[in-house]
Amino acid sequence: MTGLAHIDGLVVLAIVAKALGYSAALLAMGGVLFAAVFSQRAEASVLRLARQLAVGAALVGLAVLAVRFGIRAARISGMGIEGATDAMMLGFVWESPLGTAAIWRGLGEVAILALLIPRFGQWIAMAGTVAVAISFAQVGHALGEPRAALAVLLVLHLLAAAFWVGALVPLYKAARDPAGAELLHHFGNVAAFGVAIVIFAGTSLAWLLSGSVTALLGTAYGLALLLKVAIVAVLLCFAAFNKMRLVPALRTKKSGAIRALQRSISLEMLAVTVILLATAIITSVTAPPVNL
Amino acid sequence: MIKQTLLGLAVVVAPALAFAHSKSEATTPANGATVTEVPELSMRFDDPMRIISVTLTSPDGDVEIERETGMDPSTEFRALPLEELAPGSYRFDWRGMASDGHPMQGSFSFTVAE
Repeated sequence: MTGLAHIDGLVVLAIVAKALGYSAALLAMGGVLFAAVFSQRAEASVLRLARQLAVGAALVGLAVLAVRFGIRAARISGMGIEGATDAMMLGFVWESPLGTAAIWRGLGEVAILALLIPRFGQWIAMAGTVAVAISFAQVGHALGEPRAALAVLLVLHLLAAAFWVGALVPLYKAARDPAGAELLHHFGNVAAFGVAIVIFAGTSLAWLLSGSVTALLGTAYGLALLLKVAIVAVLLCFAAFNKMRLVPALRTKKSGAIRALQRSISLEMLAVTVILLATAIITSVTAPPVNL
Repeated sequence: MIKQTLLGLAVVVAPALAFAHSKSEATTPANGATVTEVPELSMRFDDPMRIISVTLTSPDGDVEIERETGMDPSTEFRALPLEELAPGSYRFDWRGMASDGHPMQGSFSFTVAE
């Protein structure tokens, strides 16, 4: 297999931590976006859940960030897990692009905690959301050329994905509320644009990083990316089914509509988990064809 | 469960090649070469690499080497064996970090003949 790195226990740990970091970042950003976009339409309890989710995810994100620093230090040290607390190794990680990304990510996640402050807190949290998205453009192959295009596409991809991922839990709750059907219907309309952005930005990134279609088939990066896209396609099918069938059924108060929609949203969450794990594997142990 | 799956995946693709950045373009001795003497061990990279740990192992265990290149990122790494290498097979392993922050590792092997 071309372009696949050596995998050992620490690498597996790094992948799991990275996937957890992705989940925390997307949920934190998504909770802020949900509370902002649906502030007029969602019930107070649903908005409160979105904010709690964002704050909780931001706290988890900060903890994961610290753990990932240790894992990275251990990986480069060659000392095994003991390297995780070695001051010199941690210094090397801090000096690397991961240090820059950690500043953006850390400040962003702290800013998201401002959701706890009434009124203007949400504006600080919104700035934090953008900072978290920008943090992802500070590391890895996003630093390649054309850098500006890669950065803008990645930030758009993440904000749109976060909007979707962060909405799942609040929408799960809203499905039970009397006014939930209208919120879900409205979400479906807004999310259609979000999905278009996710796909456009994701495809553009894949094209810039792969260079050719044949490169996708012959490399570890390409195959893992195709797997990710396949799961995204399944997720889109669920989303489309929700929008076309289940939400209209909820609006007409069909029996069993609430349960069917909640089950479908649960499956979406499962698909998202697999997608984030696949993404963590891709960005940890495979290299884009243009970098081979 | 996730760990098992990942480890399973790792086993399936075990003969994994080194990472893209670890294109250590050239090494001395060359990978797989048979040589009569090893005055120095060196590697060249296409992009500055921070080499953090290096080990030279023979079937008898670790062999002491002295680094000439420090831990700052560099496109060229040099180390010297402290003593003349006895005939046998050797493997040089390194770990480090590429300029984009990716942890890197690689190795090359060579044989010293009489």
